[in-house]
Amino acid sequence: MSLSAFLLVSLVLFSAGLVAIMSRRNLVTILVGIELMLNAASINFMAFNYYTAVDPVVGQIIVLVIIGLAAAEVAIFLSILMVLYRARHDVDVEEIREIRG
Amino acid sequence: MNPAILAIVVIFTPLVAFATAMLFCMKAHRIAQGLILGGGAVSVVGAFLLLLGGPSETQSIVWLSSGSLELSFGFMFDGLSLSFGAVVALITFLVQVYSIGYMHHDPAKTRYFALLGLFGWAMLGFVYAVDLLQALIFWELVGLASFFLIGFWYEKPSASAAARKAFLLTRIGDTGLLIGILLIINISGMAHIPALLDAETGLTTMVSEGTLTLLVLLIFMGIMGKSAQFPLHTWLPDAMEGPTPVSALLHSATMVAAGVFLFARLHPLFMASETAILVVLCIAIFTALMSATIAMVETDLKKVLAYSSIGQLAFMLAALAAGGLLAGILHLILHAVFKALLFLCAGSYIHHFETNDMREIGRRGGRRMRWTTAGLVIGGASLAGLPPLAGFFSKEEVLASLSHGGYHLIWFLALFAAFLTAYYTFRMVFFIILPDRPLEADATVHDSSPVILGPIIFLTIATVLGGLILGPLAAILLLDVPHHSLLSMLPAILCALAGVFVAWWDFGRSRATRRGFVGAVPVLHRLFSRKWYVDDVYQAVFARFIQLMATVLHRVEVDLLDGGADRLADVTRWTGGWTARLQSGWVQAYIASGVVVVALAGYFLGSR
Amino acid sequence: MGIPILSLILLCPVLATAAVMLVPAGRDQMVRWISVAFSLLALILSAIVWMAYDQTVGGLQFEEIVPWVPAVGITWHMAVDGFGVLLVMLNSLVWFTGVLTMWSLAYRVKEYFAFMTLLVVGVYGVFMTQDLFLLFFFYEIAVVPMYPLILIWGSTRKEYAAMKLMLYLLVGSALLFPALLAIYHVAGLGTFSMVELGRHTFGIEFQKFVYPFVYLGFGVLAGMFPFHGWSPSGHVAAPSAVSMLHAGVLMKLGAFGILVVGIRLLPEGATYWAPLFAVLAACGILYGAFVALRQTDFKFVIGFSSVSHMGIVLLGLNLGVLGVASADAFNGAVFQMFAHGIMTALFFSTVGYIYDKAHTKTISDFGGLGSQMPRAVTIFIIAGLCGAGLPGLASFWAELLVFLAAMKTYPILGAAIVAGLVLTAMYILRVFQQAFFGPRNPKWDGLTDMVGWELLPRAILVAVLILFGFFPNLILGLIDPTTQILMEGF
Repeated sequence: MSLSAFLLVSLVLFSAGLVAIMSRRNLVTILVGIELMLNAASINFMAFNYYTAVDPVVGQIIVLVIIGLAAAEVAIFLSILMVLYRARHDVDVEEIREIRG
Repeated sequence: MNPAILAIVVIFTPLVAFATAMLFCMKAHRIAQGLILGGGAVSVVGAFLLLLGGPSETQSIVWLSSGSLELSFGFMFDGLSLSFGAVVALITFLVQVYSIGYMHHDPAKTRYFALLGLFGWAMLGFVYAVDLLQALIFWELVGLASFFLIGFWYEKPSASAAARKAFLLTRIGDTGLLIGILLIINISGMAHIPALLDAETGLTTMVSEGTLTLLVLLIFMGIMGKSAQFPLHTWLPDAMEGPTPVSALLHSATMVAAGVFLFARLHPLFMASETAILVVLCIAIFTALMSATIAMVETDLKKVLAYSSIGQLAFMLAALAAGGLLAGILHLILHAVFKALLFLCAGSYIHHFETNDMREIGRRGGRRMRWTTAGLVIGGASLAGLPPLAGFFSKEEVLASLSHGGYHLIWFLALFAAFLTAYYTFRMVFFIILPDRPLEADATVHDSSPVILGPIIFLTIATVLGGLILGPLAAILLLDVPHHSLLSMLPAILCALAGVFVAWWDFGRSRATRRGFVGAVPVLHRLFSRKWYVDDVYQAVFARFIQLMATVLHRVEVDLLDGGADRLADVTRWTGGWTARLQSGWVQAYIASGVVVVALAGYFLGSR
Repeated sequence: MGIPILSLILLCPVLATAAVMLVPAGRDQMVRWISVAFSLLALILSAIVWMAYDQTVGGLQFEEIVPWVPAVGITWHMAVDGFGVLLVMLNSLVWFTGVLTMWSLAYRVKEYFAFMTLLVVGVYGVFMTQDLFLLFFFYEIAVVPMYPLILIWGSTRKEYAAMKLMLYLLVGSALLFPALLAIYHVAGLGTFSMVELGRHTFGIEFQKFVYPFVYLGFGVLAGMFPFHGWSPSGHVAAPSAVSMLHAGVLMKLGAFGILVVGIRLLPEGATYWAPLFAVLAACGILYGAFVALRQTDFKFVIGFSSVSHMGIVLLGLNLGVLGVASADAFNGAVFQMFAHGIMTALFFSTVGYIYDKAHTKTISDFGGLGSQMPRAVTIFIIAGLCGAGLPGLASFWAELLVFLAAMKTYPILGAAIVAGLVLTAMYILRVFQQAFFGPRNPKWDGLTDMVGWELLPRAILVAVLILFGFFPNLILGLIDPTTQILMEGF
């Protein structure tokens, strides 16, 4: 297995996440997309960490931070989602345009 | 006593009286009246003491200095200032006395008397002024007093319109005067009159004749405004809207004479420019003829007198321009006396009959007011130039100076104007003393009160004896008394007599038509009664032009500048609104555009 | 260094603002008394400064120098020259009479006086400071309170006027701020001190480039034609005392800024641009007068007369730079700043009174008002005559000096401006005749004339106009030494 194989996997994951964010209307799916993108980034870090890094600890720390961040993000995201759903009975992003100029 | 201190007393007592009356006596009419009269009396005594003291050195102090400007404040004590100052103080005082009777019932008496005080201060300050700027300041203040006094009955729209017109027309002249004075200061670095007039170091030695002509003509603009010469004369007849004593004081005897006085003051400068002399002569003689023709068809007593003032002022200017300094000043002083008399008589009639129409005054028994009528006849005869009254001597001098100066055409026209003057003066007299129908036995006609008659009688005597001042006046002015043969006086006397005779033929005799000989030529009659259309031209040309400019610039302000700024604001707002639409609130579009931007950036950065 | 009297003067409005804000709600009378007490104190202190200013020496006096932000060279540097003394006095007079004018205000009194005194703080600061940064700082303090003052207490189209004023002035500031920073940066002295900067000679190209920014930036506030649009509508919308401060002192800030920043720091740039700006100023004089002829609202007439009269100030400044008759022109310009300040304050104070009683400012609504309000009308007439340049009132001298310089520098232009005096007389007399003269209008019979303390502020202003109308040397003696020093810079 070479570095490029890992990068390819992460690219596929990232693209899938991006497509999910841009095309899906349900906020939950969008959240899943974001998670996918974060994981793609984590895979990249670990791949580079394994193949090229001088001090492998750095990459592992970053990935741990990303996981922590993702967890926190999910918590906040879901709580916002709950509030939104309670207020609007709907989690469709097409419909939520409060900040339209 | 130091003449400067005396002059300060003479000039500033009326100011003190004015300020005190305005500030503290608005309700206490009698006190205000007493204050102003007291101030007037002090001025008269002081001015005559100054006159008796004879000419003395000019005194002045520096009032302000800034850069190139140095204004001195001081007094001139030459014959011109002393004699005219005494006349001004005297007539002011007489008019104040007269006003006690005339304004007896007016509720705003305090304001009236206070303004007379203001006028006295400004006028005397002007007469003794030593510096051109100082003279200008008082000149303007005189105009201010005139403005308020013409518009004294400000509730009458015609009075306030007349006041405004007077202020504006004199202001137009004053603009020229101010420009002239500023140019003189810029050229010579001074405005001290004696220094400017100095034959060796004065203004005439500093500039070419062309420049001097320009300067004196600019100054003459101011004189035209103040002394009501064509084409700035139209305010004076309108100014008759003011109370009659004011017309007597300001608009015939003293204030309008300020222009002539300034001319006499700056006489050497005018004499140094041939062109200026010719211009002044032409304007003066044209004004004299025009005003006389209008007076021939006017029926308002005060307006006839107003036009005669314009004409007599033109005579003075013509005499001065022709080099007759003594003639001009003599006519200035004597005219002040007999014209004040005529106006006071007119006021006496108007006060009694409450009309300005002289035909009506005559019909209702004007001649039964004997003292007043005597004053009117003597004053009228003097105005007409009948010997041996004051006006005869001075008019004779005026005509003589014209013929001595070699201006024969002007002399001839002036004779004609003198004939017309005699004609319209006696037209007025005959209207009043020989009305066209017999008087009814109306017992209510009685002569005015003593405070009104006193000044009239005083001035009547002065008019009879006025010719006597010729000698002393020449002495104090340091000029020679010219001697005229009887023969040279003959044309003037004949003209006056002819005028009186024609007036009698047209208006006096029992079968007179009372239309006047101009009535035979309807075109002329219309021209004269429309006042030569000068006002109409002003209205049609200047007033409309200014209004048009104002309207155009107002549109520029509203549509272009303000409108432009508003449009700019609109564009900003519109752009903001338009760009705000990009903020669709559609999160996925934001993300998409972000991805595109990052992709493009990556592409361009990577391809480098 | 003795008593820091300038800082004390500045402290008066600062303390007044603070004290007014601390007053419990509903105690309006207390607010008024606090304002009047502090403004009177400032007036007295200003008079002391005037008396103590050594006219034989001239130049900057009463200096206070305390480093403030030494890292970038900002110093608390307060000092006044002859011009400053005069303008500080002007501000004190207008503030004091303005407070008295607004005595009968009943709506949100506390906030009103707080904003108004804040404005005064800024104005004092600009007139006193010798530090370029502080100058801009105070300048903005003076400008910003205008917005709420007009918006909350204003009348006629107040939202529009407040927004317009704010935008114009901020555009001015936007031109100004980079120019000031450029001056600081290019001099490379590491100080904002205007005294130090004044000693530095800037490159001629730099001066030519930066001067228009400074002139236009300050010029907007000075009501410079054709960027005066904010001024008449602002005057009209603002409440009386704000109009007084606005026309009386705020517009002078602009002219003062041009003088101390533009002309003093960038003399060659000023000389280069002066002919153009002089012509513009002359256009403004005539333009303002013409437009005033057409106005139907009292305050608009005065607003455009301000444009016209501020044109005289700007013309004087530019003529002074041209150097043919510098002393007359500078003296005239500064004299006019003072005279016009007092005159417009009087105008607005009196119109405000009439408006408070009659609730209209439309000229044609009146007629014969002289019968009902003789005192108010007399005072307005005095102000009007001052505007028309009548001798015996302060403006006459100022205009005379500027006209003299104009005649010397550009005779034709000068003659045109002098002729413009006729226009001034026309629009003033038009107001007199339409509003004050004529038959008594029974509609206004119920109006009461000024009495007692209502007369006080107006009487003070009238007295000042007459005093300096007859004794112009009192002002000329104060400012002439400073003018001489200024002229050495050329």
